[in-house]
Amino acid sequence: MQSLVDAAATGSLYALVALAIGLVFGVMRLINFAQADYITIGAYALIVPSASTVPTLFIGAWPMPLMVAAVALVVVLVALATERLAFRPLRGTDPSTLLVSSFALSFLFQQTIMLVFNSRPKSIEFGSALAAAVEIAGLRVPGVQLLTMATTIVAGTLLVFFLRYTALGVEIRAAAEDFTMAQLLGVRANRVIAVSFAISGLLGASVSLLLVVQTGTLDYRMGIMPVIYGFFATVIGGMGSLPAAALGGFLVGAASQLLQAWLPPDLRPFRDAFVFGFVIAVLLFRPEGLARPRAMRERV
Amino acid sequence: MAADRHRLIEFASFVWSVAALALPLGVLVFLLSRSGSLAVEQTVIEALIKIVAVVGLYVFIGNSGIMSFGHVAFMGIGAYAAAWQTCCPMLKPIVMSGLPDILLQNTVPNFPASVASGLLAAAAALAAGAVILRLNGIAASIASFSLLFIVNVIYSNADRFTQGVGSIVGLPVYVTPTVAYAWACAAIALACLYHRSRFGVALRACREDDVAARAAGINVYIQRLIAFVLSAFLLGVSGALYGSLLGTISVDTFFLDMTFMLVAMLVVGGVRSVAGAVVGVTAVSAVVEIFRQLQNGIEVGAFHVALPAGFQGIALALFMLAVLIFRREGITGGHEAILPERLRRALLALKK
Amino acid sequence: MGVTADIGPASIGITGDEILEARDVVVRFGGLLALDRVNIALRRNEIFGLIGPNGAGKSTTVNVLTGFQQPTSGEVLIDGRSIGGWSTNRVARSGVARTFQAARLFPALSVFENVLVASVNAGGSLAAARERAGDILAWVGCANRAERPASGLNYGDQRRVAIARALALSPKFILLDEPAAGMNERECDQLVTLVSEIPGRWGCGVLLIEHNMALVMRTCSRILVLDGGKPIAEGTPVAIQTNAEVRRAYLGDKAPGAAHR
Repeated sequence: MQSLVDAAATGSLYALVALAIGLVFGVMRLINFAQADYITIGAYALIVPSASTVPTLFIGAWPMPLMVAAVALVVVLVALATERLAFRPLRGTDPSTLLVSSFALSFLFQQTIMLVFNSRPKSIEFGSALAAAVEIAGLRVPGVQLLTMATTIVAGTLLVFFLRYTALGVEIRAAAEDFTMAQLLGVRANRVIAVSFAISGLLGASVSLLLVVQTGTLDYRMGIMPVIYGFFATVIGGMGSLPAAALGGFLVGAASQLLQAWLPPDLRPFRDAFVFGFVIAVLLFRPEGLARPRAMRERV
Repeated sequence: MAADRHRLIEFASFVWSVAALALPLGVLVFLLSRSGSLAVEQTVIEALIKIVAVVGLYVFIGNSGIMSFGHVAFMGIGAYAAAWQTCCPMLKPIVMSGLPDILLQNTVPNFPASVASGLLAAAAALAAGAVILRLNGIAASIASFSLLFIVNVIYSNADRFTQGVGSIVGLPVYVTPTVAYAWACAAIALACLYHRSRFGVALRACREDDVAARAAGINVYIQRLIAFVLSAFLLGVSGALYGSLLGTISVDTFFLDMTFMLVAMLVVGGVRSVAGAVVGVTAVSAVVEIFRQLQNGIEVGAFHVALPAGFQGIALALFMLAVLIFRREGITGGHEAILPERLRRALLALKK
Repeated sequence: MGVTADIGPASIGITGDEILEARDVVVRFGGLLALDRVNIALRRNEIFGLIGPNGAGKSTTVNVLTGFQQPTSGEVLIDGRSIGGWSTNRVARSGVARTFQAARLFPALSVFENVLVASVNAGGSLAAARERAGDILAWVGCANRAERPASGLNYGDQRRVAIARALALSPKFILLDEPAAGMNERECDQLVTLVSEIPGRWGCGVLLIEHNMALVMRTCSRILVLDGGKPIAEGTPVAIQTNAEVRRAYLGDKAPGAAHR
């Protein structure tokens, strides 16, 4: 039962990442590995930029609402900047080039962060109150897990509401469906893409804060594995739809935890390999939304 | 006879495309290894080994048009295969206790070990490719990326074979610039042979238009598989050589950073040609080396000027992004070194 | 209107070997009926025309005959063997070659390589494949451009190289999908000569889809007319030209002289 809660919490976190990746992929056919760095930057924004091993809290020391807003702002600005400077010139190129570019961009960020902050992980005192466990129905659930799940539910609901009921949201969905057509119908490409990146920035910021509360550590590569998992989650869930991406996130997180609990001890360290293998299986047997996005099936 | 003449031209063409890369490379290697600096020599060896790897990447990525992010897994497989064959006879039974006795009690000479490592990587690629290459385009890229992770997880946890996340030390450090250069030339020759073979041409047809390729009777899946296996062989060999660079390997060496580095080199040089692979490795290695020297510091007058560590990574990433934005086909633009027209006509005019 | 019973292989007494057959082929895309019981029997020594207004299902027919489209019902047979479920490259290697409406050459490959790549799949040694490719290229008149990249060819040459590529498979049947589209009169004349020679020179049957009526009438010995996925007439060029149903399909009910009431 405990492991189910763990599974739900991990799944929620990956779902947040998967939503961000799915959203950007939807409008630009770009798999944005720089999302990992949005997360990392959000976390590092909490401390004063310095190479010292003992970090001093900067934004992290501000009152909570202000702090959350500030981190969100920083990450959103970074996301928008990457869109404007790196991805816009590459718009419309083949998916491979986009993929390699986002890889390159991510690498650039990692190196820069490493340069400024030094490559050693730093631990900070942050939100430790939330690490305390809450007693619910006989289970001890760390507060941070509850917060993660709550955040995902709220974020997911807001996103659905936004995409379905606001004009901008509809435009984004149209663009994700058929970009050229949407443009012809007057949807402004730049605005739609920028907003999508901004949202992915917001999602990234929430992930970074949750991660810091959960682990109490800052590492210049902390965003990579969540994004890798989130990315594979969108593949599993189906890259064409956001709910599917979130579902994929849940599945990946859940599978990871459940395998940990249920595999024989010998095989437990290899549980991730099962997850990654599952990705390939999904691609082979149910590639919808990825191998056959919208008009991929050629008319000969 | 026209057929004989044709074969002569084909042969000359092949020799030219290999020599056009191998000779300047050889000159460069020769000059640099004379510099006397051990660090420079290391860089040269490492670059040559990476040429083997990136040429291997080109064989698949360049000809098929499918970006594979998983190939470094084969490099890792090759590296550990070499370790199993050639490492530390004293330590092996302790450190890699899971290995079968025949490996624990014997040491394989370096050259056969490298070839065997390549073959193991190729076998792994046959199995993996048979599955992954059923997918198209981006799906295949993602699946190959997944493969990288699968291999990483397995090797990181198979402690009795690989020391898990720890390093294996004690590999023979036998790779000199000459050895590395020989392998680089072999890789280039193999890639050129493949490029001009019926398989290379068929795969490039698939890359250009896979529907028309099928209508022309080409089995797209098989052609991709052939290239996948061949490229894995080269990557496996490069992994085996890599272990002998410093005498030590660990699983994380053959993971995301190496993947980025090799893909960057190929993209910068030009994805679609062997020349691109060679030029890319050379250019990027040079840039990295220059920045490393700058980081170590140079004397400017009375001052010791040094760039902070990490700048070389930034420079590399910026370099790569610049190429992707402004000259997508890379430095070589995807062009191969071709037999010059004059030479071709001269050969045609030869009296038999 | 009584015409359908007369259309099909049985009506001209064809059975068995050496034919490419479509039997009662039906193709449905969701709610759309693209082909409605099409029957074709293409012999190796003939040039067979397939015509009809736009959207009649001509390209779909070619797709079905070459394995690019699985029929919803009915089957396709090469020399009596069903090709149901075969991959497209297997169909191609089994003797059914095709061209596309767009030439679809391989731009980065040379003209010669474009043809060679198909030629090697016709069996035999590499040398034989090279020779065959060279011969065919010469026959279509593009030998002097053999070493150039295919991307640099003009429109007419692209079409011809595409035909060469299909012929390089040493096929039993070749299906040409609107080869004359966009050609001027002189080019059309050359195409007529070319296509007419194919059965005799290369020993394969030709299925020709065309909008250019003059071309069709001059080259084909038999013609099938489709309209809205249905076969509405089959026969010699003369018979088709005078067929009232065909007139109506192309010109509509208000066609002068359409005496079909």
